Amino acid sequence: MKAILAVTAALALSGCASLGVQPWERDVLARPEMSLDAYALDAAIDDHIYFSKEASSGGRGFGGGGCGCN
Amino acid sequence: MFADSAIAAAPASEQQRTAELVRGEDHWIGRFSAMGCPCEVLIEQVPATLARRLVDEVSRCAWRIEAKFSRYRDDNIVHLINTSAGRPVSVDEETAKLLDFAATLTRLSDGRFDITCGVLRKAWRFDGGDHVPLQSEIDALLPLIGWHRLSWHSPVLSLQPGMQIDFGGIGKEYAVDAAVALASGIARGVSCLVNFGGDVAVRHPRRDGRAWRVGVESADRVGAAASIISLTRGALATSGDSRRFALKDGKRYSHVLDARTGWPVANSPRSVTVAAESCTQAGTLATLALLQADAAEALLRAQKVRYWLQ
Amino acid sequence: MNDNDTLTATLAAATCALLGSTIATPATAAEADQWSFDSSLLYYGESDDRVQDVSAALSAKRNFEDERSLGISLTADTLTGASASGATAMNTPQTFTSPSGRAVYTTPAGDVPLDDTFHDTRFALSANWTQPLARLYTVAAGLGFSTEYDYRHLGANLSLARDFNKRNTTLSAGIAWSQDDIDPVGGAPVPLAQMLDVGNGTSKRSSDSKDVMDLLLGFTQVLGRNTVLRANYSYSKASGYLNDPYKILSVVDPLTGDTIARVPAGGVLGPTGVYRYESRPDSRAKQSLYAEVKHSFGAPVLHLAYRFMTDDWQIDSHTLDARLRWPIGAASYIEPQLRYYVQSEAEFYRASLVAGQPLPRYASADFRLGNFDAVTAGVKFGHRTASGNEWSTRLEYYMQSGDVPRQQIIGNQANREQYPDLNAVIVQFGYSFRL
Repeated sequence: MKAILAVTAALALSGCASLGVQPWERDVLARPEMSLDAYALDAAIDDHIYFSKEASSGGRGFGGGGCGCN
Repeated sequence: MFADSAIAAAPASEQQRTAELVRGEDHWIGRFSAMGCPCEVLIEQVPATLARRLVDEVSRCAWRIEAKFSRYRDDNIVHLINTSAGRPVSVDEETAKLLDFAATLTRLSDGRFDITCGVLRKAWRFDGGDHVPLQSEIDALLPLIGWHRLSWHSPVLSLQPGMQIDFGGIGKEYAVDAAVALASGIARGVSCLVNFGGDVAVRHPRRDGRAWRVGVESADRVGAAASIISLTRGALATSGDSRRFALKDGKRYSHVLDARTGWPVANSPRSVTVAAESCTQAGTLATLALLQADAAEALLRAQKVRYWLQ
Repeated sequence: MNDNDTLTATLAAATCALLGSTIATPATAAEADQWSFDSSLLYYGESDDRVQDVSAALSAKRNFEDERSLGISLTADTLTGASASGATAMNTPQTFTSPSGRAVYTTPAGDVPLDDTFHDTRFALSANWTQPLARLYTVAAGLGFSTEYDYRHLGANLSLARDFNKRNTTLSAGIAWSQDDIDPVGGAPVPLAQMLDVGNGTSKRSSDSKDVMDLLLGFTQVLGRNTVLRANYSYSKASGYLNDPYKILSVVDPLTGDTIARVPAGGVLGPTGVYRYESRPDSRAKQSLYAEVKHSFGAPVLHLAYRFMTDDWQIDSHTLDARLRWPIGAASYIEPQLRYYVQSEAEFYRASLVAGQPLPRYASADFRLGNFDAVTAGVKFGHRTASGNEWSTRLEYYMQSGDVPRQQIIGNQANREQYPDLNAVIVQFGYSFRL
């Protein structure tokens, strides 16, 4: 687990200095459906359903839970 | 952002004639002083050279119009007209168009709006102080006010001796529209928002689909925004008493004067902001509405424009 | 004052004459919307008279100047129906004492036992605040609360994010705590104690609690004009009462696999077999790695997400989620969705306990801790109205199927259904609007 984390971090940081767009190229990224947090309510509902039927939770944000359903 | 729509130019020597360009989060900001107020040009992201050119051209346009129509200068057409002492003056095409426009406004407002009320600055000083003129002082000036007292047959203008014209009520909005047209010609399709002291216009929407956010200054708290308006395209102009006013015995006297009486309009909203296609149109509607006092809202509703009152 | 129509026309003509051009496009200016709302009504229904849930949710967000914002969320849901208790099926009817300890329920022969005495309504409220801390830094804090008949939750979270590289890269770190109080119907069972007759509460204790601490490290990166990536690492440590108070295990004969029979005490109702309440460790440490990518192909947008989870109960899981948002015309879209989930069983998961053998320290027959995979297939349809509000509707089908490891199947159990598949339909209506 730790090895995976270290490799991922190294790859990310080494690559990120050259990746990206200029501020005037953010037109597509500014569209609401391209936001990573679009439809947060749907995501919260899905997380809650899966938390109560499966053994895993969270990942995208904090673990959810906070209910007696698991 | 500010809510003031009249030219109140300090003498030219006190103003800086430089325009600075800085980078905002996702747009360029050009800043300079003109017509007695802070001016801004907001440009969506373009290469630095184009942004610099836009800011230079817009600031030059603003300074040109200010130099030409300011009543505080002694070297322009307005000075010539105001010292003509009854002699006819032949004006150029741009001035002629402004005079035609002013004539229309006087007619549309039944005489409440009149560019000949420049003489009233002898009676009123809207610096926040408590100087309020006596009725006798106003009465002495009223015979020098009135579009019907001058002769305007394009391109010749003849005032009565002692009369003065003041383009303060329409000059700034006109400058905004001229600047926006100029910017549009230089950089096609680029979203460029021009803001001269609270009178704002933008012709093209931003390419990233977001709207420009414009703060309308609170009438009560100068420097704080009463509301934020998202402007995608079009113009906003504000008429009101937040910055230039007289205050005596708790009563606030707006600098927007009713030309028929020489007094500020009573019972009008503190501030009117209007959205329209051009800044001139927006500013005119805002001023006309303000001059209607408590009928301001009725006028704006009838025109089916977006407006905000304070 | 002139007639108003004349005013408009005259002014337009005068402006045109002054500026020397007609500006045909009308102004588009609006008070910057300050409140935005998302609302949803959801129905979740499992087949075979199992769990049904109806929930309503409303979340509101208020944007302030300088990129500060407040979010508030309210959810209410009612749960009815039966869920598998963990006991194994038998070729004779089985009777169990219900969780309250005051009644019994019976399962027909051959069926996987379902405990249907569970009805509950839950309310949840949460609030969060986000604001810039300094240039390029953003801080967020949140509080959460939820309550239901037998469970109460209180939580708080805090996170900090920093942008780099012209805001193309964001690193974030967050921490969350929660304190949950569990007050099960009838009391929290003593782990591995036997299920007793109606009215006999010696196997039950009073309420208990659990704490959870979560740590989240996040990384977001713009990969190109059309692509954005997010990767998170999270660590979660739960300690306290982690058992499900309503789940049991059957104690079975080592040769036949049939549940050991039992006769209730004279004159009372009670279980007809030997059943024991489950026991889980009192701590659980989870780690997960999550990555998602959003990519735009012009108008359609593809969203792919993957999550790997592992914990110290020996459960490993993989989740893969794919959605493709396909625009229809200028104002609508359709978004098919496919999700695949697979997990391996917990170390202490077992289908049943064997009579005569020493009791293990931990044991649970809760199918949610077992080996299974699940597929969700769904479609969402949305439409944006002229005023900028959005209607949406979602229809999904969730199919979970698992199996009990062969070595745990004893004797006659092989002839009966061991792991009940779960099929559920999800229908949701949503409306987002701004004020």
